[in-house]
Amino acid sequence: MYSLSYVKPKSLKDAAAFLAKNPEAKLLSGGMTLIPTLKARLARPTHIVDIAGLKELRGVAAKGGKLVVGAGTRHHDVASSTVVRKAIPALAGLAAEIGDPQVRNRGTIGGSLANNDPAADYPAAVLGLAATVVTTQRSIAADDYFQGLFATALREGEVIVRVEFPLPKRAAYSKFHHPASGYAMAGVFVAQAANGARVAVTGAGPGVFRWKAAESALAKSFKPEALEGLALDSSNFNNDIHADREYRANLVRVMAKRAVAKLAGRK
Amino acid sequence: MSAKAHHNHGPVGRVEDARLVTGAGTFAADWNVPGQLHGTFVRSDRAHAEIVAVDTGRALKHPGVKAVITGADAVRAGYVKPMHTLTFPGKGGMQTRAPERPVLAHGGVHFVGEAVALVVAETAEAAQDAAELVEIKYRDLPAVVSPEEALATGAPQLHENVPGNLALEVEVGDAAAVEAALARAAHVTRLKVEVTRVAPNPMEPRAYIASYDARADSYTLHVCCQGITTLRRHLSAYTGVPEEKLNFEVGDVGGGFGQRTPAYPEHGALMLAAKQTGRPVRWVSTRSEGIACDTHGRANVINGALALDREGRFTAMRLDWVNDMGAYLSPASMGHIRNTTTCMTGVYRIPALYATYRVALTSTNPVSSYRGAGRPDIAYTVERLVSQAAAELKMDAAELRRRNFIPPEAFPYKTPTGSTYESADLPGLLEKALKLADWKGYAKRRAQTEKAGKLRGIGIATVIENTGAGQAAKDEVELELDAAGNLTVYTMAKSQGHGHETTFATIVADALGVPFERVHLKQCAPEKQHRLQGNHTGGSRSTVGAGSVCHLAAQKLIEHGRAAAALDLGVEPSQVEYADGAYRSKESKRTFRLGDLARSKPVSVVAEGKFGSTFPNGCHIAEVEIDPGTGAAEIASYAAVDDLGVVINHGVVEGQLHGGVAMGAGQIFGEHVVYDRGSGQLLTGSFMDYYMPRAGLVPAIRGAEHPTASKVSPLGVKGVGESGCTGSLPAVANAVMDALAPLGVGHIDMPLTPARIWHAMQDARKGR
Repeated sequence: MYSLSYVKPKSLKDAAAFLAKNPEAKLLSGGMTLIPTLKARLARPTHIVDIAGLKELRGVAAKGGKLVVGAGTRHHDVASSTVVRKAIPALAGLAAEIGDPQVRNRGTIGGSLANNDPAADYPAAVLGLAATVVTTQRSIAADDYFQGLFATALREGEVIVRVEFPLPKRAAYSKFHHPASGYAMAGVFVAQAANGARVAVTGAGPGVFRWKAAESALAKSFKPEALEGLALDSSNFNNDIHADREYRANLVRVMAKRAVAKLAGRK
Repeated sequence: MSAKAHHNHGPVGRVEDARLVTGAGTFAADWNVPGQLHGTFVRSDRAHAEIVAVDTGRALKHPGVKAVITGADAVRAGYVKPMHTLTFPGKGGMQTRAPERPVLAHGGVHFVGEAVALVVAETAEAAQDAAELVEIKYRDLPAVVSPEEALATGAPQLHENVPGNLALEVEVGDAAAVEAALARAAHVTRLKVEVTRVAPNPMEPRAYIASYDARADSYTLHVCCQGITTLRRHLSAYTGVPEEKLNFEVGDVGGGFGQRTPAYPEHGALMLAAKQTGRPVRWVSTRSEGIACDTHGRANVINGALALDREGRFTAMRLDWVNDMGAYLSPASMGHIRNTTTCMTGVYRIPALYATYRVALTSTNPVSSYRGAGRPDIAYTVERLVSQAAAELKMDAAELRRRNFIPPEAFPYKTPTGSTYESADLPGLLEKALKLADWKGYAKRRAQTEKAGKLRGIGIATVIENTGAGQAAKDEVELELDAAGNLTVYTMAKSQGHGHETTFATIVADALGVPFERVHLKQCAPEKQHRLQGNHTGGSRSTVGAGSVCHLAAQKLIEHGRAAAALDLGVEPSQVEYADGAYRSKESKRTFRLGDLARSKPVSVVAEGKFGSTFPNGCHIAEVEIDPGTGAAEIASYAAVDDLGVVINHGVVEGQLHGGVAMGAGQIFGEHVVYDRGSGQLLTGSFMDYYMPRAGLVPAIRGAEHPTASKVSPLGVKGVGESGCTGSLPAVANAVMDALAPLGVGHIDMPLTPARIWHAMQDARKGR
């Protein structure tokens, strides 16, 4: 790790103010990505601004037909929340499958979204559920928020405050774990809402994306068979020592079908 | 089985576990010494290059930096020629060609991660910062990472003194007999198999502190290792520093698997730094350094042919090996050839054997011993050939084995490659395993699996391996007794988690008939390090060797005290009997306690022994389920019956077996070090890309013992440290192949990742 300064602001406002003055400072939440990155000397921030203790960023609530999750809420808290389990069980299930118990007890939803790892789980839920990312400056629709490999719509100094999930009729997530890292080699989040179905895919490509052909097919018939033989553009899928594009495309199809199958019989 | 039970006085669990699992152990990175400096290695970021210049100027100016040691220092000190153990003659009397390897690279680098400089500073952070300021100018040269490509015509020449990158060529057996048998065989099964390169990854990363005592001109090294005797020999050979000038401190060790045996360049570089700065220098490896630079394991490619007659009897086998040794020969690489030759015939009577070995150097991290050191490699090769033959001939895989076993009455059995298997009851072992695994009920289980939309396969392996014999002249153990009757046992064997404190203390407590709590083990104690000889712990030899000498030492102590006891009891020594911690005589009503021997001063005896090889053997049966949608395979059941001779502590032995089985299954399903073919860059440099088995990989193992007598040691024990993976590599792979065979999938090489299995299924479907 390079030498750096550690700052612990007392409020979100203080944190945002500090970031505005220090463009090379980095927010530290759960630290599940940042700390290893620092240890490997792959990042060299001037400061780390520790917001992990800010209570205003934590917590879960269901109100006004929405599920609201504070940016500093840990994966374990989402996974074990009775509110989340009741409102969107698929989201609790997704959180329960992130990393390992150590990661789930440190990592936060805001951290995951700000980092936007192409194999992270939360982006699939946020995009699949058409959630809104609320920051210190504005509200960003999921469709605008994710911008490819580790890229988001966040501006410098902008801090995620909470995520607002509209409640779907039903939703499911199916994930195939990367054999080495445990991240999603392909994770597919399927949601059915009043205005149609959404299918969001993580792990397979350079960033989370919607499989629109699947969405149209499911709008007509919400059954696994509806996904048979659908077009899936895998030209930009990851192709590495672990799996080639063809295999990842297969995983997307299989995980999508399994997610839909999980919902069979559920309203 | 020896009639004598050896576990009367031992605990059920392991006495060391409370310390080890509660964080109370003292591992190498827990050591700190007064005045210490901190070292960081600057490592090559390329696979093959000439070093044009090394500029340490900026690094030396960095605050806190005390020294930057480079290859020039290594060459000046003469730390350039590591020991290797390929010292036997090769084909046509060929001598091994071993490249020099200065402890810091000089003139050129030969793999990604090779240490080029050592920066020493007041803090670890300052050393890390300054390491980035060392400027190395390279001239890139072509790299080759595949051993077969390294041996091919036109491959880049990696070392001047190793023409064609061929370090050694060896042949064993009878080529003419094998060729004749292959020519007249009713059936020949041919397979090319790869036993992949893996990174052993002990839980504890390497950490050393080197100190130099100018007055004595000697060094003290705090290390994590598998025993100081072998390390000392290697390091002395590497540096030219006499063994008596090398002292070691070693505490708890968090895993070794062969990787913690040899002397590494880092040892020597830290010694140079300690001498130059006059202060102790500490280095703690990162996990990524460990994956890149701690010796790798396996890395063999084998072309095999197994000949059978009309009755399905094996008539001959030929194996042609390419052994990838990486960029340099490690000090512990002989197992690849010696152990695979020793057990070449497997558990079968195969009248004609012939093997060739071509030892290749490549632009990769050196390869050395890794849990089994060739034993799992040969077991995998033979057992894949046998199961493949059974599949081709549509025979029951168990029946083909049964038909070819070395019969019990043929033991001790001299193999065509010159080793002598001590004892085994292979038919009995097989029947017990078939029963334990419910071999007969398999069809029903497979039908159930298929109903759930999955594939199921069953795999069997019957294996044998050499354990025991070590390279040290003898194993010595000192036993010290105090007036309170407490016993201290000093060994040169060193647990890396094995449970020596439990096993060896049990042996002594049993032999003396004293409570286990009275016996304490000290391993590689500094005060004994130049007094006692012995093998390090590796090659599944420590209970056979050091454990047996613990038993002998206890007996020696009893004899040693007999005269004093007789004097005290007022009888002749011949009238004294010893039992349960005391001497008694029918002629005297009194007893003389063992502790009474040490009333005036502690009593100490040193016992010694040297033991040959003993051959544990086993039958492992695995069943797997495969998800056809994703290619993901899971172990559905695992049964293992092993002949381990007399067992001292069943918990310790089960732990060794389970760990070995999981390690083997991990290699089959995912572990794999991968270098980029063009650039030689390491593509699996962290656990994000390097697969490690997780606890859920292997479900409950059903195990049973099927011991036969061993006369190699007085305890009747056989080694167990490597048995688990020797059995599981072939058993698990055979199960996967069995599941895929109905689809028309032939052999596929490990790692059997979901992607690889899925592609094999697609290819078979499409007739590719």
